[in-house]
Amino acid sequence: MMDLFSELFDMFDNMGPFSAPQMTPKENRVCPVCGHTWADFNKTGKFGCGECYKTFESGASSVLRQVHSSAQHVGKVPSKSGTQIKAKRRLDELKRKLKEAVAAENYEEAARLHAEIKSIEGGALK
Amino acid sequence: MIWYNDLNDGIVISSRIRLARNLDKTPFPAALKDKAAVTKQLQDSILKSNSTLANDFELYELDKKNKEEKLKLLEEHLISPQMMQGNGRSVLINKNRTMSIMFMEEDHIRLQIIMGGYHLDEAYDLADKVDDVIEESLTYAYDEKFGYLTACPTNAGTGLRASVMMHLPGLVLTGNINRVMQSISGMGIAVRGMYGEGTSSEGSMFQISNNITMGLTEQEILNKVKNVVNKLSDLEKEARKILISKNKTGIEDKVCRAYGILKYARSISSAEAKQLLSDVMLGQNMGIIKCDGKMTPLELMIKIAPAVISDGGGLSAAERDVKRADMIRANV
Repeated sequence: MMDLFSELFDMFDNMGPFSAPQMTPKENRVCPVCGHTWADFNKTGKFGCGECYKTFESGASSVLRQVHSSAQHVGKVPSKSGTQIKAKRRLDELKRKLKEAVAAENYEEAARLHAEIKSIEGGALK
Repeated sequence: MIWYNDLNDGIVISSRIRLARNLDKTPFPAALKDKAAVTKQLQDSILKSNSTLANDFELYELDKKNKEEKLKLLEEHLISPQMMQGNGRSVLINKNRTMSIMFMEEDHIRLQIIMGGYHLDEAYDLADKVDDVIEESLTYAYDEKFGYLTACPTNAGTGLRASVMMHLPGLVLTGNINRVMQSISGMGIAVRGMYGEGTSSEGSMFQISNNITMGLTEQEILNKVKNVVNKLSDLEKEARKILISKNKTGIEDKVCRAYGILKYARSISSAEAKQLLSDVMLGQNMGIIKCDGKMTPLELMIKIAPAVISDGGGLSAAERDVKRADMIRANV
């Protein structure tokens, strides 16, 4: 029993504490959709609408990083509006794999990846 | 199947997935003036869709429901505590009461799937499909960098909250629970009581869920929660072994006394009943006692909550305690 617990606590001890968001950035803009300001966000900790994330982009990024240790979504892409985003993500992934293949001197795989990247770039994103 | 009827190992009670979604170019509920028009648009995205979903739902307009009717939905875990207050809120609930779609909570849409037992992946797959149906007729507030945009930044990105309700009486009885829970809260995993945020853990029930919703894929979030749940399950099993090996008579006595009170009491409070039902559940899972009554201890735990007992009938606390004892005696 003790062994199980100490293993668990070791695992937890290696993780940093979860810090609460500190809303410091100053922005003077007003959101065109909901009329909220950065001061409104500081007061409530809530955004007024989706557009606020664009209006206060740097502030939102810093808050998100404090809450989630990341300000980059890597999950689901909406099926309807997301065709371009999905293609771009696929491209990013292929380019990363291409770099790895070149570094590993795996030129056959690199040529295949290069061809795939060219065919995607020639399609949806042009 | 209603989630609390799905029997399992008695440690993992239920799995719940919640997705937060908002409409593009529309103020979030707290800043929204014309809630009725937007609500109609959101409801139509499901009720007027061509999917089989449309016929499966019943609409509850919460402004037209009294406090007890709303409490009943809360105690069945079909609405969140926040849905109890404010106005202009409504919810679609499916026939077998595993899916609820809340409108005008903190976000425009809160889609929830709750299943009995350990079915986090299945629950997510279903939520994902319903999410796609809703999205066919409207445009979500979504950003390539920030993902799904939500009122509170703590939900942004995936908008996914994956929670598992666990029954951990072994860790409570062996005095290990506080240490275990404190450790967990340091790793991006939240521990809450049976009814979510701000509720206490009655009857040794705990909800384990992810804090982080951005920078991880949905699958990574599910895996993170599952890792902690698996670890807690192992620890709970160990604790139960210790209870039996160190004080077999003590634990048998506790379970059987709990059963005795439940079987013969003429008036019982919700808190006492939950604790005793938790003891009986433990006894049942450990093979100490057989419960062949009409309802399982878990189902009783849900059905003896004050609002569920009252069933919209406006009973006094004393009347509820009597009705609760009657119900338990007849079914335990």
